[in-house]
Amino acid sequence: MTRTYEAIVALVRDTLVDAGSTFRADKKAAYQRAIDTERNEQARWVLEQVLANAEAAERDKSPLCDDSGIPHLVLEVGEDCAVTGRMLDAIREGVAEGLRKLPGRPMGIMGDDSHRIDQSGGLNPDSAGVAPAPILLRRCKDNVIRLHILMFGGGPAIRAKTYRVFHRHSTQVVLDEIVGWAREGVAQLGCSPCTLAVGVGRSHFEATSMMLQAQVDGKYDEQSEMEREITRRVNEANIGPLGLRGDTSVIATFMKVGPQRASGVRIVCVRPACCFEPRIATVELQ
Amino acid sequence: MVQLSTPISEEAAASLQVGDTVEISGYILCGRDAVLPKVLKMIEDGTVAELGVDLHGQVIFHTAVSPAGVGPTSSNKLEIESSIAPLSAAGIKLHLGKGQLHPKTIAALDRCNAVYAVIPPVTALLGAKTTEQKVVAFPELGMEALHLIKVDKYPAIIGAAHGRSIYDQDL
Repeated sequence: MTRTYEAIVALVRDTLVDAGSTFRADKKAAYQRAIDTERNEQARWVLEQVLANAEAAERDKSPLCDDSGIPHLVLEVGEDCAVTGRMLDAIREGVAEGLRKLPGRPMGIMGDDSHRIDQSGGLNPDSAGVAPAPILLRRCKDNVIRLHILMFGGGPAIRAKTYRVFHRHSTQVVLDEIVGWAREGVAQLGCSPCTLAVGVGRSHFEATSMMLQAQVDGKYDEQSEMEREITRRVNEANIGPLGLRGDTSVIATFMKVGPQRASGVRIVCVRPACCFEPRIATVELQ
Repeated sequence: MVQLSTPISEEAAASLQVGDTVEISGYILCGRDAVLPKVLKMIEDGTVAELGVDLHGQVIFHTAVSPAGVGPTSSNKLEIESSIAPLSAAGIKLHLGKGQLHPKTIAALDRCNAVYAVIPPVTALLGAKTTEQKVVAFPELGMEALHLIKVDKYPAIIGAAHGRSIYDQDL
């Protein structure tokens, strides 16, 4: 079914609000499991606060965090579906309306290139002044056009890392490096427990896009052996929620490994997504 | 659970211990990276009284104040952490944020009988506990201006007091 421009705008608007205000069911269950097993009293208190915050945000359709995030969009296209420029315009308008409705934090920086770097151009007072990141497009099996909206906060962006790893023909070497980066990033983040988003690719662009897709595809109740190992080893660092120590530094790891090149190097991206991320919601536009 | 009301007395501040769970009520200040250096400049220039807010016994919450609500930013950012010692000397009794502070900052807090508290980033819950807000100074900074808000039972954990830190491994 082809939807009208206005219908797409409304769907995208409401999906963005859901992304910024809602925990998915598997994430709520993961938090409850963590609360039930956490041995540190202060850590358990923080986990309970984060889950209670999620319930309040979902009920009120209000932001989970005052850093409401930068919209990142993944568009999936089925076999017989066509994406038009007009549809992209409707998506962009829906994002703007969603940011106003949430409401998002008005943190768009105005001005020319130099002004936007040093923040001397001032803040756009409109929540919709926060432009979304470039859209990532990928094929899907279902014959639909499906949009995933993710809201990326600033803290995880500061502590994320994308760099090369010389693998020495050992997966364990790469996993060790990921664990090392993650321990450092989670400890510095402050807003743990994290969901670690990991991408492995042939370039910085590819590794980062894998990290983004890992957050779309990842499930808290379905973890691969590598994902479980990373989570377990970072949790052994005793960083804990908000860095206050405890068993729960990481709730889960979402990892996506792309095609690799014949080479001794892998490009790895690790994002310590904060206690509210991935903030994601999904809608079918056609 | 320890109940704290602003202004916080010297005695109340001295009684706080690392790991205490507290609830903070009353009027508190909000400021972060952009505005705190400007407040320090006013203290240096002897013009801080122009703020119209008595800093003695006050709380400073490291947050922006926007339509999205409030929530802690990292207190160990350069401009924020470097404000903790001089603001404590000027009378601030509790710095509210998140993240690990450096030992010299923790020592400076102790010298001034001030503390640092960690607040979970629970914006949706804090929204229901925030009843008033107004800009005190530097309105051109928008959400990063110096704000005064009225809060009811903000939850927090004392993260640094009496020269000790909750992030120390031996605690």
